[in-house]
Amino acid sequence: MTGSKAKQLNCQEALRKVFDFVDGALEGVSLVEMRTHLATCRHCFDRAEFERLLKARMARLKANPASGELRARVQSLIEGG
Amino acid sequence: MSLTDEERREFSDVVLPLLDEMHALAVHLCRNHSVAEDLVAETVMRACENFRELRDRSKVKPWLFRILTNAFFSSCRKQKTRQEVSYEEVQGEDDAGSFSLFQQLSHPFLLWWGNPEREFTNKLMDEDIRRALAELCEDHRVVILLSDVEGLSYAEISESLDIPIGTVRSRLARARSMLQRKLWRCAQEMGFGVSRRRSRQEALKE
Repeated sequence: MTGSKAKQLNCQEALRKVFDFVDGALEGVSLVEMRTHLATCRHCFDRAEFERLLKARMARLKANPASGELRARVQSLIEGG
Repeated sequence: MSLTDEERREFSDVVLPLLDEMHALAVHLCRNHSVAEDLVAETVMRACENFRELRDRSKVKPWLFRILTNAFFSSCRKQKTRQEVSYEEVQGEDDAGSFSLFQQLSHPFLLWWGNPEREFTNKLMDEDIRRALAELCEDHRVVILLSDVEGLSYAEISESLDIPIGTVRSRLARARSMLQRKLWRCAQEMGFGVSRRRSRQEALKE
């Protein structure tokens, strides 16, 4: 981050980075720029909030635990390996 | 080459805690529970055989997902079931990542009518998302599952799929665009969109 200063993003630039932001892939100056823009732009804030919400809904699909049978099968595979 | 008892214990310690995550990924890829369980078992077997190759134990998750997705793609090729990218998805490639469900749902000038995008995410059922995901081609489905369901970082997805980070970004953007197109159809079926907009405009005139 040496030598790079935060600049003011316009909406187009902010929306281009919205998924990086939601995915936690922005850091340093880029993250500061994005947060600053979102703090002042209702439309981009709503968009980022929507994408975050949708991503959180997707994460709910993770609740799919392995059955006891699969666990036992895997355990026996490991013991036999 | 079989593992020593100590290696087997270590393998067990690092792999078993990730069994639910492997299973969740496999279920959404295969869309069939018994096929998914076979895929997980095959993954564990391959992982066990190659455990000594895993030098950095902190990367066990992307390493396992890489084995799992490779086994999945390989079984698709064998069965020739790999979904071709649909015409709609090819069209989507042209304007990569350009479709936004938010743009379709949001009507900022009608703020006093509530928040349709929030209303939609509240009404959205897991089954709607599952159905929309199932309609994506495998490449798009995998990248979305790794990112949004499994919560992997771009770097971990890059390792899992053996593609550069830039490709992860662009593929994810295309996949999300396609997924949101499908969810938009779902939203329209729920009554969001034109008819609702018209009724609001009519109500405003009154």
